[in-house]
Amino acid sequence: MASHAEPLDVARVRDDFPFLDEMVHGRPPVYLDTAASAQKPRAVIAAIRDAYEHGYGNVHRAVHHFGHRATEAYETARNDIALFINAQSADEIVFTRNATEAINLVAASYGRSALRAGDEVVVTEMEHHANIVPWLMLRDRHGIVLRVAPVDDRGIIHIENLAALLSDRTRLVAVTHCSNVLGAVTPVRDIVRLAHDHGAVVLVDGSQAIVHQAVDVRDLDADFYVFTGHKLYGPTGVGVLFGKGNLLAAMPPYQGGGEMIERVSFDMVTFKDPPHRFEAGTPPFVQAIGLAAALRYLTAIGIGRIADHERSLLTHATAALEDIDGVRILGSAPEKAPILSFTMDGVHPLDLAVVLDRAGVAVRAGQHCAEPLMRRLGIDGAVRASIGVYTNRADIDALAAAVRRARKVLI
Amino acid sequence: MGTRTAYETHVSALDVIDDDDARLRSIIELGRRRQSEPFPAAWKTDANLLHGCMAKVWIVHAVEGDRHVFHGRSDALVVNGIAAIMTESFSGLTRAELLSRTLDDVRRFRLGALATERQLGMMAMLKRFQKLAATSQPEN
Repeated sequence: MASHAEPLDVARVRDDFPFLDEMVHGRPPVYLDTAASAQKPRAVIAAIRDAYEHGYGNVHRAVHHFGHRATEAYETARNDIALFINAQSADEIVFTRNATEAINLVAASYGRSALRAGDEVVVTEMEHHANIVPWLMLRDRHGIVLRVAPVDDRGIIHIENLAALLSDRTRLVAVTHCSNVLGAVTPVRDIVRLAHDHGAVVLVDGSQAIVHQAVDVRDLDADFYVFTGHKLYGPTGVGVLFGKGNLLAAMPPYQGGGEMIERVSFDMVTFKDPPHRFEAGTPPFVQAIGLAAALRYLTAIGIGRIADHERSLLTHATAALEDIDGVRILGSAPEKAPILSFTMDGVHPLDLAVVLDRAGVAVRAGQHCAEPLMRRLGIDGAVRASIGVYTNRADIDALAAAVRRARKVLI
Repeated sequence: MGTRTAYETHVSALDVIDDDDARLRSIIELGRRRQSEPFPAAWKTDANLLHGCMAKVWIVHAVEGDRHVFHGRSDALVVNGIAAIMTESFSGLTRAELLSRTLDDVRRFRLGALATERQLGMMAMLKRFQKLAATSQPEN
């Protein structure tokens, strides 16, 4: 990837994040859990506050000032998100509660209308549960067959292994763009091309990838691309489903209710066109406005500049942790997002995470909603440190020092 | 063990430690000591497993007369220490006594400051004790 002439001014970025004013157990916070949920910049908090204070009213069908303002801001947010991922049209952007709901929407709507019993869906071994369980439910209720593509110890999907699973029965490939455990970035463009050659559509779980790299859904040629707002420095309660216009147009509604209908009587109901067909009930419009503010914030800094900064910290963190006795880092794909999972010989990940927390260092421990991957790696769990736009070298040094001290306490 | 005394002993032992870091070290040491004590492999069954994402905890239940006795073991030191406190504190009680225990009894250990998750884990253990006691054979 190209490096950017002016590096990120992380000290200035840190001024934008009020959580850094807090103290944790008497120490400044070292937040290395961005992959679970990112902290929020003032710009996002201000946008949400502004929406509630000055432009709040229920969206669509409103005949008053506040409803108009909210509707305009909500639909502008949809447009901003379409531009951010280079969708062809804002009509290809469906707001959901989160990425999980977006995948469930595709599984329930596309899955039940376009797939038949015996049709095959392919996932990989390193999917988050959100991209496994909806397909297992579709298998159990609808009779599809689930195939699982292997990954190697580094987190690499070898395209020939995936190709071996594809056949004329394959209807859908659901793959992560970046493993939430191994940080491995997957060759989505190659996977899409291969799947399309077999007549299958592709759903990409972009929840982790979109936080760390520019995403162009048209360049990827993904049929569906999902992500969540809260990992992308936006608020909780909003996610995005991108779907190609022709696919969304052919899909039946996911849920029924207000907002998604044209006409209703006790004899019949007609539905709106996408995206509103898939947004039953009052949508998370304030959250969508907040997410759009997050995208403006990141764009102003520069996605490439952020990626360079995070890549440099990942290299530093990898070296610092590898230098500690008994630490084993998981995943070494050539293209890796700043997600660093590791184990320590003789130490349970939970114990390590609890001791790190006392040092003010926030990491995550456990299976990271990727139980099949843990089984594949032969471990019960791992500690995960994940880097964000506000992370600096001192955070990484604090992590390494705390891990060294924790080892003395726990072994 | 398991009388009000065992419970009070643990509450008092934790109460005199006024520093959260020291309290955590004490839990870790207790967990380490208990890990060296026997816990039959046959007890580590799925049925005895308290399902949680971050650490495995096995809870074993026995009825001695009208008293309920629990043994616990975890693969994580912190949780093992907590399991020791919980099983020892709530063993030796009758069903009625056990069912009367609440979150307030758990809060007296003052471990919530370590992490809310730990307190939730302790409540999950207490609920398991209560469920096991409630569904066990009627007392003689």
